[in-house]
Amino acid sequence: MSTMQKQSAAQSQKLMVFVLTMSLYGLATLFTELIPKFQVGIVEFSVEYFLFIPLTLAMLFDPLSAALGAATGELVFSEIMLGQFGGLGELEKFLTVTIGVYIAGRLVRDPRNRGMVGAAAIIGTAAQLAMGTVVDILKVQFAVEDFEAVAGLPESVFATEGFAFLNDLLFSGILFCMLPCVYLVPKLYGKIEPLLGMQPRTENSAVSGINPKTIAVCVLGFVCAIVAELAATAGLSLIDWEAEWAESGTAVAVGMVVAAVIAIAVLVVMKKNSERKAAH
Amino acid sequence: MERLSDKLSENILSKFSMDFLRNQVLKNAYGNDDTVIAALDPRILLAWYLFFGLVPWFVNELPFLLGCFLLVMVTTILARVAGLVLFLFALGVFSQTGYLFLVTLLFGGDASAVMPLLILTLKVATISLASVTVFSGLDPDRLSNGLMWYGCPERLSFSISYAYRMLPMLMEEFQNVLLSYRLRGNPPAHETLRGKVRYLIYQVKIIMQSFYPLMLNTAKRSRTTVEALELRGYRYAAVNQTVKRMKLAALKVSYNDFLFLAISFLCVALSVLCCTLF
Repeated sequence: MSTMQKQSAAQSQKLMVFVLTMSLYGLATLFTELIPKFQVGIVEFSVEYFLFIPLTLAMLFDPLSAALGAATGELVFSEIMLGQFGGLGELEKFLTVTIGVYIAGRLVRDPRNRGMVGAAAIIGTAAQLAMGTVVDILKVQFAVEDFEAVAGLPESVFATEGFAFLNDLLFSGILFCMLPCVYLVPKLYGKIEPLLGMQPRTENSAVSGINPKTIAVCVLGFVCAIVAELAATAGLSLIDWEAEWAESGTAVAVGMVVAAVIAIAVLVVMKKNSERKAAH
Repeated sequence: MERLSDKLSENILSKFSMDFLRNQVLKNAYGNDDTVIAALDPRILLAWYLFFGLVPWFVNELPFLLGCFLLVMVTTILARVAGLVLFLFALGVFSQTGYLFLVTLLFGGDASAVMPLLILTLKVATISLASVTVFSGLDPDRLSNGLMWYGCPERLSFSISYAYRMLPMLMEEFQNVLLSYRLRGNPPAHETLRGKVRYLIYQVKIIMQSFYPLMLNTAKRSRTTVEALELRGYRYAAVNQTVKRMKLAALKVSYNDFLFLAISFLCVALSVLCCTLF
């Protein structure tokens, strides 16, 4: 009985951490989405700029809930609420943010140790950015037909993506992920946990530390993100085949048009009928 | 001339105040319940989105992409999406592919790079507009119900409803904390370039620092939320099939939904016809 109670308490606290991270990170990403990106010289201030929020919370609380909360918050607040949901691309973002934050949260054993916090923050950010870069390059390769044939395009994609990675990591990563974490985590430690009704994280609590299982799960998530892209190529050949088949007969296309017109006509008549019935 | 540019920048800055952003987001969420798109069944719209969000990635025929693009443009106009969202969409699409084009030219590409990039732009634009139509045209509650019907995790539909309800409050709180920091602070003079850089650093520092009280306040609030949810048995209701069925009983497919699908199908069929003819 007592173990069950403990379990349920931990579950609701996980929900609290989820809600907390979701609202804070969602709000922050909403602002970055709304305020046009501004560039100072070669330094671009981008979304990664608020990653310190989930990183901080993942270091203080349960890393998995914080990571999932951050990814969901970004998805709901800045993508769905603003109508910018991008389908396949969002899955990749969701997974990379979750993995990056989760790794950083697992790495920290003692939140009061500033060196450890800083290192974990930069490693988590680097992991997230590196995965994003790889997937971005793949995405452009698959979307543009005859990628290799267009002069100058492959080099330019590698160069821009590589440059964006270094830029984000060195400027946004250090300025907006590492420094705020180093400032916030020790300051919040011991103050924010009682508000959620839990004990501060200690060196021997179960959530910290990286083991092979964690790494395996992270790699699996990254593979999922890439598989989403590989599915794109598989689908590419499928639709191409269909297009060829359609080319052989214009009649098929004409048939589709006629079917659509008939469907619309039937539906309009049925709607009129039902309205008349409703009126009687 | 200088006065004019001063006035212009002041105008743009005043447009981008916190209240403006809040109003736009709220208008986007709740301001268009009476449109044609909002009245459609969310399940039908999500299925429609699945087609227009995925298929354009895999097709490279220009007439087909153009036809799809025109269709989603019409639906976006019907959904009466807030101006800011459309502006962000345009900015996103054209800055991304335009930048790529410039870099391609830099690396010795020529005009032959225009065609693939144009197709890429068209694809991205079609997919984004389809998502703008569905996710901003629909009421949040209807949207989360539709997602739930398709078996999305309860956590996601909860997040959507929670986000729409809580967002105004969170934004206000953030604004208050930020303003109180500004009131107490002493910003550096920003006439010279050095001063401007220091002013920027000061601003960023204030935003970072204001997250300290904000995190504590939000922690309190999320505890209250979760406790209120637990009192009503949320975690048990979330996985209970009977509750789910009761919640989704309000969804109904009407003739309008089928008509919408049929018209979309007609558009796609016409563009396929164009593909085969040319």
